[in-house]
Amino acid sequence: MPDIRIEHLSKSFSGPKVLDDVSFTVKDKEFVTLLGPSGCGKTTTLMCIAGFQTPDQGRIACGDDTFVDRDARVDLPAERRNLGIVFQSYAIWPHMTVAQNVAFPLRVRRMSKPAIRARVTEVLALVELSALADRYPHQLSGGQQQRVALARAIASSPAVLLLDEPFSNLDAKLRERARDWLKALQHTLGLTTIFVTHDQDEALSMSDRILVMNGGRILREGTPEEVYRQPRVRFVAEFLGQCNFLTGAIGTGPDGGEVLRTAEFSDGIKVQGRHDGPTGTIAVRPEDIEISSGIRPGAPGMGTEASVLHASYLGDHYHYQVAVGALQLSVHSQRPLAPGPVWLRIPPGVATFVE
Amino acid sequence: MTSMIERPAEVAAPAPARSRARRLPASAGQALVWFAVVALVVGPFFPLVYSSLRSKPIYLPGGTFTLAAYRTLFADPLFWTAVRNTVSFALGTTALAVIGGTALAIVCARTNLPGRKAYRLLLIAPIVIPPLGLIVGWLSIYGQGGYLTQVVSKNVHLPVWNLSSIPGMSLLGAVITIPVVYLTVQAALAGTDSWMEDAARSAGAGPWRVITRVTLPMLRQAIVNCTLLIFALCLEILGIPLFLGAPSNIDFYASYLYRSWSSGANPDPAFVSAGAVLLLVVVSGLLLLRARLSGSEQRFIAAGARGGGTYRPLDLGRWRWPASIGLGAYIGITCVIPLLGLVLMSGVKALTTLEAPWHLFTAENWRLVATDPTLRRSITNSLLIAGGGGAATVLLVAAATLIAHRSGFGLRRILAPALIYPRAVPGVILGIGFFWTYLMFTPGALVRNNLWGELIALCVRNLTLAYVVIYPSLARINAEFDRAARSSGAGWWTIARRILLPILRPALLAAFVLMFITLLGDYDPVVFLQKPGTEVLGVTMLQTWQRGVVGPVAALAVVQVGIVAIVLLLGTRILGRLRRA
Repeated sequence: MPDIRIEHLSKSFSGPKVLDDVSFTVKDKEFVTLLGPSGCGKTTTLMCIAGFQTPDQGRIACGDDTFVDRDARVDLPAERRNLGIVFQSYAIWPHMTVAQNVAFPLRVRRMSKPAIRARVTEVLALVELSALADRYPHQLSGGQQQRVALARAIASSPAVLLLDEPFSNLDAKLRERARDWLKALQHTLGLTTIFVTHDQDEALSMSDRILVMNGGRILREGTPEEVYRQPRVRFVAEFLGQCNFLTGAIGTGPDGGEVLRTAEFSDGIKVQGRHDGPTGTIAVRPEDIEISSGIRPGAPGMGTEASVLHASYLGDHYHYQVAVGALQLSVHSQRPLAPGPVWLRIPPGVATFVE
Repeated sequence: MTSMIERPAEVAAPAPARSRARRLPASAGQALVWFAVVALVVGPFFPLVYSSLRSKPIYLPGGTFTLAAYRTLFADPLFWTAVRNTVSFALGTTALAVIGGTALAIVCARTNLPGRKAYRLLLIAPIVIPPLGLIVGWLSIYGQGGYLTQVVSKNVHLPVWNLSSIPGMSLLGAVITIPVVYLTVQAALAGTDSWMEDAARSAGAGPWRVITRVTLPMLRQAIVNCTLLIFALCLEILGIPLFLGAPSNIDFYASYLYRSWSSGANPDPAFVSAGAVLLLVVVSGLLLLRARLSGSEQRFIAAGARGGGTYRPLDLGRWRWPASIGLGAYIGITCVIPLLGLVLMSGVKALTTLEAPWHLFTAENWRLVATDPTLRRSITNSLLIAGGGGAATVLLVAAATLIAHRSGFGLRRILAPALIYPRAVPGVILGIGFFWTYLMFTPGALVRNNLWGELIALCVRNLTLAYVVIYPSLARINAEFDRAARSSGAGWWTIARRILLPILRPALLAAFVLMFITLLGDYDPVVFLQKPGTEVLGVTMLQTWQRGVVGPVAALAVVQVGIVAIVLLLGTRILGRLRRA
């Protein structure tokens, strides 16, 4: 499967830009996720790749095939792009059986009947639906429908698989299973995949690479760990999980690394990476903050006094709202704590600078 | 068009490249359908206007541009009488229909009237009864020589009504148009929640106050909307004045045009075209006004979309049963008894109260229907038009609807109004337009003297009905179905043929049933086109009636009603099976 390259894509629907100079490349066999809130441009990007929308500017190419090139006035119709798409609604045609749905892309390509039959059998086995080949869509569960949509999308061995929020119609439990299953299938078949979602868990658990979008732009690009641990942009940090933000003066720590000092953390918080300028903002994940009851006689630099304002129990952890001086921080901890004074510490290296 | 939609199914897998090249390019096929629809709909108006401005009929050599036809028209005192009659009839009918239809809709949709569910269905029955059948049925019972009229005047010696007066005709006009008002108002009621009425009730208002102070004001837009529609419909009505007006020599606009055309000393008088152009302008103006006042084509989606809702019906109290019985009596008097009268009239020598009907029983009318070549031909011709024309129209309109709403074809936006317009144009006008079109253009000669010409005129006139049924169903089909097919590699026609049309099957069948019923009963557009050998039911009934022969007309009307009943029954059964599958 070839690489797919998106270059300088821009689009607006009579108003503000929906896409603003979006560029990225998806490599062979890679699973790339476009993540962002609704209206961020992720679906528009996907529809431009699929050929259902035309960008105002930019170029999309897949290997040697140019899908769209506004400067060269190329715009390949959707039906000639050889892509597989799983839609949010699945869009399984209600008047066809499972097998007929899957066979459709093959029939359109005028494959011989025996070849179609063989391929349909193969693909249905792949998505574990062999037993349901003659059922109609309305006789299937949500999870089964989703797998039919996937089988249809990959039946004609497309160059790229596009997934438009394919899990949003499944309930939470099923969603988790479908996620693992789809990722395993994608890996086995080596499908180049572009996945659109607003769900951070889906993005983090499945992707090789995540592109976080907002306002028609790509704000951050990287592996799930990179994007989560070093969001770099405040929006990305907030959108992927919860985050505390602290603003203060930047100085040099005892070991020469950069630290951020605030009134509450006068000893300084050791921060990953570098930042120019006298002041800055850092992001700290709630689960990275250490918290314990009782005041430990600590050496300087070991922590700060704080008090628990509010606690809620979330099953696998407790969520505390903690006051440190004038600051309020969110903290996740496995330990139950009584309201009142606590000891709070931000370990070195968990905080990162954000813009 | 048919051939394009049913393009040959895959020939056993030839080389992909070649078969792709042989395909009709989507845009060319779309352009063809687009052109066919626009030409058929808009085409007839140019020759109509042109012929009204010429000094000689356009098939004669010479002639100059002139307004003489309009001057002739305005100088004719009969024209002005017809205009006055039409306006009084239209005012009376509109008032009766709007008041009656609104009341019926409110009573059936918002109160605890016993049997309201059955009434909801029965009240729209006049829509599917062929209009001439209802008119002839009414004449057989309530006309001057009608059965009940005779009973009251001769046997009971009471002063009697006159159905052939303008108030009498307005009454029948209202009965025919009440379902339109009923459906419009009912759709508006179904579309608004009953919270506001509930709120008024919890504020202490009684049912009557709720209806007059809350329900009616909410319906204002729907009522204005159908008032204009009914008024416009009344201006073009032809059957009522021809059948009912004749005994009292009352002409309406459409019947004046028809009579001047068919009995005039000089053939094809230009002033009839002029009259048609004037009527076209007035009716189009009214409907434009209506479109501006309401939300254009939205009404088609609202109608029949959903019925009722979860609401607590208003309590009619002790009026419940009297109201229900009254409504039942209304349906009995306006529909059931006239239809029975039709059957009776088709089986007797003469309809009279002087002798018991079974003494006058005769099979002569039916024998005539079975043997007379003209009568027989009009049945087979009408069936041909309703069946073949209906099917072809549904296919053409389905293709045009897909192009209008599901394609990237450049000029697609013109299609939706083009598909709605023909039904807004008075049928007689479209008929005159087609008459001149067939004369003026060479290809027209191919259809001028045969059934094709009438088939085209009738189908174009009624294609709106197919659109009105198909479009809402198409709008409910998720656009991702199309996209999924495109990303599978399918082109536009393949998507239309394999995905959208199969999903639309129930709507296509419903559209066909509606087209069949309407084409079987419609006659306005062909009164100017009929030639010996190309008779259709409506026009034959009209002409036979005008010769004073009533028995066979009743028999033909019974045939018409019978066919409609069978098709409706079959259609709903197949539709039910399709929907279950």
